[in-house]
Amino acid sequence: MKKEFIALLREILGAPAVTDDETELLVYECDALTLFKNKPDVVVFPQTAEQVARIVRLANEYAVPFVPRGAGTGLSGGAVAMEGGIVIELQRMNRILSIDPDNRIAVVQPGVVNLHISQAAAPYGLYYAPDPSSQMACTIGGNVAENAGGPHCLKYGMTTNHILAIEAVTAAGQIVRLGNPAGELVGMDLVGTIVGSEGTFVIVTEITLRLLPKPRAVKTLLAAFHSIEECSQSVSDVIAAGIVPSALEFVDAKTIEAVEASVYKAGYPMDAAAALLIEVDGFHEGLEETSTAIVEICRRNRSYDVRVAKDDDERARLWMGRKGAFGAMGRISPDMIVMDAVIPRTRLPEVLTEIARLSERYNLPVANVFHAGDGNIHPLILFDSRYQDQVDRIFGMSEEIMKLCVGVGGSLSGEHGIGYEKKDFMDLVFNESDLEVMMRVKRVFNPNGLLNPSKVFPSRRGCTEVGRQTTTSTAEIGKRVDEVLRGAAH
Amino acid sequence: MTIDGLSVSKVLRPESVEELTEALSAETGAIVPLGSGTQTYFGNPLRRADCAADLTRLSRITEYNPADLTVHVQAGVKLGQLEHALLENNQFLPMDPWNGPMATIGGITAADAQGPLRATGTIRDWIIGMKVVHAGGQVSRTGGRVVKNVTGYDLARLYTGSLGTLAIIVEISLKLRAKFPKTATAVARLDGIGEAGMLIASIRKSALQPISLEWVGNPNEVWVRFGEHPKAVEWQLKNLPPADWTISEAEEEAAAWEKLRERYAALGPVLVRVIGLPGTIHEIIEEYRPTAWMAHAANGIVLMTVPGIGVIQRIRSRYRAVIEKAPVEVRREVSTFGLTDTEYELMSKMKQTFDPEGRLNPGRHVDGERN
Repeated sequence: MKKEFIALLREILGAPAVTDDETELLVYECDALTLFKNKPDVVVFPQTAEQVARIVRLANEYAVPFVPRGAGTGLSGGAVAMEGGIVIELQRMNRILSIDPDNRIAVVQPGVVNLHISQAAAPYGLYYAPDPSSQMACTIGGNVAENAGGPHCLKYGMTTNHILAIEAVTAAGQIVRLGNPAGELVGMDLVGTIVGSEGTFVIVTEITLRLLPKPRAVKTLLAAFHSIEECSQSVSDVIAAGIVPSALEFVDAKTIEAVEASVYKAGYPMDAAAALLIEVDGFHEGLEETSTAIVEICRRNRSYDVRVAKDDDERARLWMGRKGAFGAMGRISPDMIVMDAVIPRTRLPEVLTEIARLSERYNLPVANVFHAGDGNIHPLILFDSRYQDQVDRIFGMSEEIMKLCVGVGGSLSGEHGIGYEKKDFMDLVFNESDLEVMMRVKRVFNPNGLLNPSKVFPSRRGCTEVGRQTTTSTAEIGKRVDEVLRGAAH
Repeated sequence: MTIDGLSVSKVLRPESVEELTEALSAETGAIVPLGSGTQTYFGNPLRRADCAADLTRLSRITEYNPADLTVHVQAGVKLGQLEHALLENNQFLPMDPWNGPMATIGGITAADAQGPLRATGTIRDWIIGMKVVHAGGQVSRTGGRVVKNVTGYDLARLYTGSLGTLAIIVEISLKLRAKFPKTATAVARLDGIGEAGMLIASIRKSALQPISLEWVGNPNEVWVRFGEHPKAVEWQLKNLPPADWTISEAEEEAAAWEKLRERYAALGPVLVRVIGLPGTIHEIIEEYRPTAWMAHAANGIVLMTVPGIGVIQRIRSRYRAVIEKAPVEVRREVSTFGLTDTEYELMSKMKQTFDPEGRLNPGRHVDGERN
């Protein structure tokens, strides 16, 4: 990268907001998906939309790729500069600009941590509903890019159901405002189209979002089962009873093992094949009955231990176990990859059986955490990255799991996004025509492709290329990882 | 048939998506996609109509998975037809658009049709996947068949509300909800705007969580609907702020909302959707003093009659306002959406990329906004 380019960046932002120091750049070579790494050439830390716009215009002038980044907690490589260039780190844009409790709206900058929004809204009896498990660290800008979910999106919806309006810097460096504070669709839902576009359409610099009143009452239950089928049947029966839980989370034995060995220890049943964490919320009136109905359903399906949390502390502990589950894996394995596929919820038992078989065949342990209410499955593949053969096996196994999930009517990603990780599997679910239309829409926003390149779309695909991707793509990925691990970045 | 004064000489009535794509590849000229025709008055005036594509024969519910809370329908399935199919599993699609059960799912989606049930969102919050046909006959899909999915761009969001001007929606996958265990409606008639405004404000500040909160005039009425566990409905009814409430349940309740739908249908001839905030609808009604209105009070939206074009311009100097309903003469003078320059630019590019020849519903959307 030209020295003069970096000098120009320093002119725009001031030296403390620009770094091209080799050591510092290492921090930005990957996000929470550590398998795919590439160092950017420079990282910048803007504090205003105008600064972001100037960076983008400069990047366009010099044809340098640029990638927006929040906290780097993403699990699909979405914030990694796979083609080098600039990482635009938005964490310094971290102010909550306003809270309007009467209209239940907050206006925030993209670098605000998800949980901080709810904390700021709490004195008004309000909160921000989408709660990804990384909410103590992830930023709302990242949430918007990925259309993040979380356990409570079962009842309250995903990020896209809570974003009312945005300010953004376009890929050409213009600042635009879209949407309205009422969140009403006027003409076309450009805001809704941008949410979940994984930082490939625009760089969001301000977000107007919806706050909800905190539920007046909550009941959290934990049910333990000796069989996955019985656990899964309980989920189906809860749905069939017309109950709308606010969360319905499944953890398997391996997950429980890790959690109970970790600081997130929650008193999960150690001898269970599977456990369900169920939450219902709303008015006090009727909640007891709903909770009792759930207990009965679980018992009817032979749950041997159903607990209802007595107080907020117990609730918090039960949730800590679930939300800490990914981190807890560190107790039983040096490395892991988190998969994120979706299936129709009714197909869970057969999918889990097949994943267990794949685990044996590939000789890689798998722990399963599952948003049972909406079919979003997170197989956690445990491995040791010091052993190349294990790394190689992951790609084969994860591809088979993805094909399995797609085969039962599911899709590639429930909440983590396609990013770099899953882009070569897009044609498991979309054909040439589908991808061509998506590419067209992307080009309206990002015509020269400099904004966050190498994401979402399959690698060797031009807009006219025809034909199905073959499984050689897995080997291709493996080769690329090889190169990167062997220090091709230098 | 005529739309906006243009007579449509040729009408295709495809019975399958394949028939439609074949017909489109063969047709030249302007195409008007059509559902039940409940909202053909909505949008900027149609500039040209060579052929209509009546999709009402694409009327199959292709798959319904009650245990997964998903249903997959062809665009011509009517809302009433869908409701009926979901009844036996006590599930529903939480939509009650003013244009009623005869509206097709495709039409509701293309027009972003809405009704007083707003606590559960609008149609875009319930769509999980779509199949569309493009102007030249190309077919493409977006989303998937499962309730939670971020695979690929959410283009369903783009097609929703675009009035068939980007592509023709032919199949929609939806997620569903369990029916509310119980609903009940409370209606109070008030003497004036001030009283009604204060009642609405106290409901909004309270612990009540209505699924519909409508402020209707004239005469001033406040309609509150609850949908919850029976005990929670009872509690909320008991805790309504004091007013002369008439409570209705079951058939009586359904009849009351049906009457309100009739009142909506009678609103006009020029009806505007003013987009404010829950805290500003009082001042909107005070300021413009419409002869008739219906406000979704918890969402900040006021549907109100206006005497003429001048008022619309005045409103637009302060609020976003969409022309919900108006004779074509009015819509020739005032744009339907009142797009900002940014929106106009971006949406025009979208239109250009999807329909470069301007064949789909020409003039009805962004391409009719600046004339």
